[in-house]
Amino acid sequence: MNSKILLFPIFFPMFAAITMPFLRKSNIRNIVISVILAVETAVVLFITYNRGFEITIWQISNILSISFKNDGLSRFFSCFIAVIWLLVGIYSFEYMKHERNVERYFLFYLISLGVLLGISYSSNFMTMYLFYEFMTLMTVPLVLHNETHEAINAGLKYMGYSVFGAGLGLIGFFFLCHYAPTTSFIPGGVLTMDAINRHGNILRVVYLGMMIGFGCKAGMYPLHAWLPTAHPVAPAPASAVLSGIITKCGVYAVIRTTYYLYGVEFLEGTWVQNVLLILTICTIFMGSMLAYREKLLKKRLAYSTISQVSYILFGVFLMTPVGMCGALLHIIGHAIAKNCLFLSAGSIIYRTGKTYVDELSGIGKQMPIVMGCFTVASLSLIGIPPTAGFISKWYLAAGALDCRFGGSLPTIGVVVLIISALLTAGYLLDIVAEAYFPGKNFDYSKLEKKEPNGLMFVPLLILAAGVVLVGSFPSSLVSFFNSITNGLF
Amino acid sequence: MALLLPFLVIFPMAGAVVSYIIGRRNKNARNMFANALVTVEFAVAIFMSSKSVEFSSASFCGLGINFADGGLRGILSVLCGFIWFTSTLFSTEYLKSYRNRNRYYFFMLSTLGATMGVFLSTDFYTALIFFEIMSFTSYVLVVHDETEEALYAGATYLAVAVIGGLVTLLGMFFMYHLTGTLDMRELGEIIKNVSDKKPYYIAGLLISFGFGAKAGAFPLHIWLPQAHPVAPAPASALLSCILTKAGVFGILALSCQVFMYDANWGFFVLIIGTITMVLGAVIAVFSINLKRTLACSSLSQIGFILVGIGMQGLLGEENALASGGTILHIINHGVIKCTLFLCAGVVYMNIHKLNLNEIRGWGKDKPFLKIVFLIGLLGIVGIPLWGGYISKTLLHESIVEYSHLLVNAGQSTLIFDIIEWLFLFSGGLTLAYMTKLYMALFVEENPYPEKHSSKGKYMNHTTTAVLLLCATIITVFGILPHNTLDVIAHCARPFMNSTDPAHAVHYFSFANLKGALITVVIGAAVFFLFVRKALMATDENGNRVYIDAWPSWLDIEKNIYRPVLVKILPAVLGCAAKVFAGFLEDLMFVILVVFVLVVRFFTESFEYIAEVGMYIFLNKEMPKYGEKREYGDDVYFSTFTPELHDEEKGFRENLSGALVFFGVGMVAALLYIIF
Repeated sequence: MNSKILLFPIFFPMFAAITMPFLRKSNIRNIVISVILAVETAVVLFITYNRGFEITIWQISNILSISFKNDGLSRFFSCFIAVIWLLVGIYSFEYMKHERNVERYFLFYLISLGVLLGISYSSNFMTMYLFYEFMTLMTVPLVLHNETHEAINAGLKYMGYSVFGAGLGLIGFFFLCHYAPTTSFIPGGVLTMDAINRHGNILRVVYLGMMIGFGCKAGMYPLHAWLPTAHPVAPAPASAVLSGIITKCGVYAVIRTTYYLYGVEFLEGTWVQNVLLILTICTIFMGSMLAYREKLLKKRLAYSTISQVSYILFGVFLMTPVGMCGALLHIIGHAIAKNCLFLSAGSIIYRTGKTYVDELSGIGKQMPIVMGCFTVASLSLIGIPPTAGFISKWYLAAGALDCRFGGSLPTIGVVVLIISALLTAGYLLDIVAEAYFPGKNFDYSKLEKKEPNGLMFVPLLILAAGVVLVGSFPSSLVSFFNSITNGLF
Repeated sequence: MALLLPFLVIFPMAGAVVSYIIGRRNKNARNMFANALVTVEFAVAIFMSSKSVEFSSASFCGLGINFADGGLRGILSVLCGFIWFTSTLFSTEYLKSYRNRNRYYFFMLSTLGATMGVFLSTDFYTALIFFEIMSFTSYVLVVHDETEEALYAGATYLAVAVIGGLVTLLGMFFMYHLTGTLDMRELGEIIKNVSDKKPYYIAGLLISFGFGAKAGAFPLHIWLPQAHPVAPAPASALLSCILTKAGVFGILALSCQVFMYDANWGFFVLIIGTITMVLGAVIAVFSINLKRTLACSSLSQIGFILVGIGMQGLLGEENALASGGTILHIINHGVIKCTLFLCAGVVYMNIHKLNLNEIRGWGKDKPFLKIVFLIGLLGIVGIPLWGGYISKTLLHESIVEYSHLLVNAGQSTLIFDIIEWLFLFSGGLTLAYMTKLYMALFVEENPYPEKHSSKGKYMNHTTTAVLLLCATIITVFGILPHNTLDVIAHCARPFMNSTDPAHAVHYFSFANLKGALITVVIGAAVFFLFVRKALMATDENGNRVYIDAWPSWLDIEKNIYRPVLVKILPAVLGCAAKVFAGFLEDLMFVILVVFVLVVRFFTESFEYIAEVGMYIFLNKEMPKYGEKREYGDDVYFSTFTPELHDEEKGFRENLSGALVFFGVGMVAALLYIIF
């Protein structure tokens, strides 16, 4: 099979998106989008199924080039991005009915998909950086879609933070170009012994900067502040993918930099690992605590994302195979569950206009299916078996206790994971309990079914089922992740 | 054959879905279906209990799940099937006038599957999976009424279940890390050969947290006296008789397999058990709510069971009496408490009241109910010829036995003498509070009679049959202990690593009857001297009524747990998190303000100089220094947004703040590179 097929999923949606402004009729547009997303998903699945594709489209200089390949990590990322993008896309057909400028939304929605796949297939730092910046620019219109003053400000804040974060990554890139023979992603790292011996400390400082920079997209402290501003103002499907997918691209960049450029051997047991573990542990707790105190539903979910994505980063920075496997599991578990939560919140907004947690009393009687999905996703975020969140938490904790470095930090991390799970229960289950059990005073005569139509609840049901399926039968995923992590240590 | 084990778990869960679907069309069909389902489940549980088979599925949920049947697991699964069988049959009548019955049946049947999963599990991982499912599905049963009290109690129940489950999970992380397995038997083998047991104790303690919470062990018992009274009666029976036993099963597995014959661990369980036993009995004496008294009684009886488990650890290989007492008390308490809760359900079903003053005298003219309740009373108190006597005698004997061992070894027996007397005292209190209930419900005249005291049919044939069945079992157990209970104990012994006692226990010998006698004397004394005197008062009409004399400041849930967990900790930690989260932006804001002030100072001074120059050379107006200048009118890119008149908000919400980050970051990076 020709390796050029790698270019198809990246550029096909970008070009196909150009048709959007010309499709004014929503029916036709929906059909076209469905076809595009379906074809895209099929091709991505095909690429995931195969291996060994590699292509360079532009050799700029000896060490700089734009090139793609599908190694294990790429196959995993591209696959789940495409599938979730498809589901959220279908959901958007219904949700966007009450928004204006739908064509623009779908234009950027499709372009973003191509860009995200570009990130996942990139085989060197420059390609990844290029698409990383594109991702920021292409998703800003999704955030400021409402064009209210608040939304535009939030969009700009998102852009400012992301550009700053990526800027830190760029600084790191300059150093890497100087000290490493190549910046292609090679499992185990690209640094030469000479550079490690003579410039180890500078490289570690730069590494810390890069992690903070890429951590911005992943909502890691200290550059987390854009998340709770941007999520509530974006349309629900956009916040769903922001929270479920875009943050994961930050994680992706972190994994690539840590395991494929610097290498575990250079980093493990050093001060920089400790600093990063402390940052992630603090972020986990801070995010959960702030979510617990937040009353605006989507903002609460945004804080929850801050905390949950830091679970993943915690797993990544543990630098143990089991911890890394837990991180990858949590990527998929959190992506599904958080998308499900945001889409549920979106359905509630769409059907009732309620945005605050206090208003949701009795909503479970009006929208039992939506709240059922919400409940399953909540249980997964808390980590209740047999959902995906439980499995990933198990691996994260096992990985943390395996970690030979960092003193008592990994153990503290495990305890914080449990405390955060408790807070997660506090901020999600009270919504569920209120929704289903509004109390004796609930007026059943005013009860009307407000269940949304199939376009909305079928993606929700699929996501909820996915949470349980991944949790119940994770063994094939785990062995796939083990094959990815095997080369890294 | 082995496939019947997962069948026991999955069948009710799948049945729950089917019952929901049927229930949407036809209520009666659903009831019939649920009854049939629990009957099949009960039959399969009995069939499987004698087989010793194993089932494992390596791929499910990561580490895989493992089931086994036979022995103690078989006995508990049969008990589980039995309790579900009775309470489901009773549900049909009890829930006739209820709303949301589909939901009730759905979650009741799911809970059945999950509970079976706990009892059949051979490793803690499997146990935890089903334990968590059980906690969540049973929550719905607790809040089923959706009254304010039910929701309050449900919140407590859920909080305890979630916290307990997570702490148990934490313990399992550590245990798995230490040993590399969670199989109960293997853990025991590994820990037996370890010299420094401290980390294992910590892990075990954490694991026991969640199980203890579900069992109602002190100090995690708070949910139990709240949740049982508010749930529908059949659900209370389930909660009280069998869900608590799921917790006990976890503690048993820890004590008898993981920390086998471990005296330290046994002593810990013993102390917890003693406190729970006494505390539950004391609250029960004070309570004036029928179901609450029964719930507190459960607490106390769980305490008895924990005492037995603790004694097993202390007695080591000579734990024949203690292990027999433990398992038999689990069985007896399950059956007896089921009977009593169903009786309470009959009362509530008819008059919708539970306060002793309001239900007083209702049962005077209902001889059948009276006799069934009386049998339950005699059973739970431990009067010879009824079930409870056998198990309590064994437990009592095990304490005495350990005292003898200590005397032989020349050590002080003070602690165990105290525990023995507390044991007998709690037995006495059991008699006191049960008599209080019995007197109120069936003997006394209600000074304020209501219309409900009419004769006639107050329960249907099914309910009658169920109650009759329960009462018969209690009696048969008590009269023929050697043919029934001893056989059960024999089956359960392998799990607890004990052997049959050297010679059959003479349950009706004088030495053993003496314990029962002391209990009765204490109970009578407490009843006549305390309950009738201190816990009853004369109201304005000169009638004696029951009063709630339990001091409210003793409520540790309302006074400590809730305020700390709901108010103090979130407030303190929340503020800390908020400050922490905003730290960077605040810092940047300060930098920005300083920067802007400096820039403004320079530009303004330059402009002032220029304007002064213009005054001198061009005869322009003499300027005033520091005149307010217009802000830039760009809403998004100016440093401070003029519209908002709130500089901080303007800063936080637009690009300029982020750009300052970028700038500062670049400057820092440059400085690092240069130096």
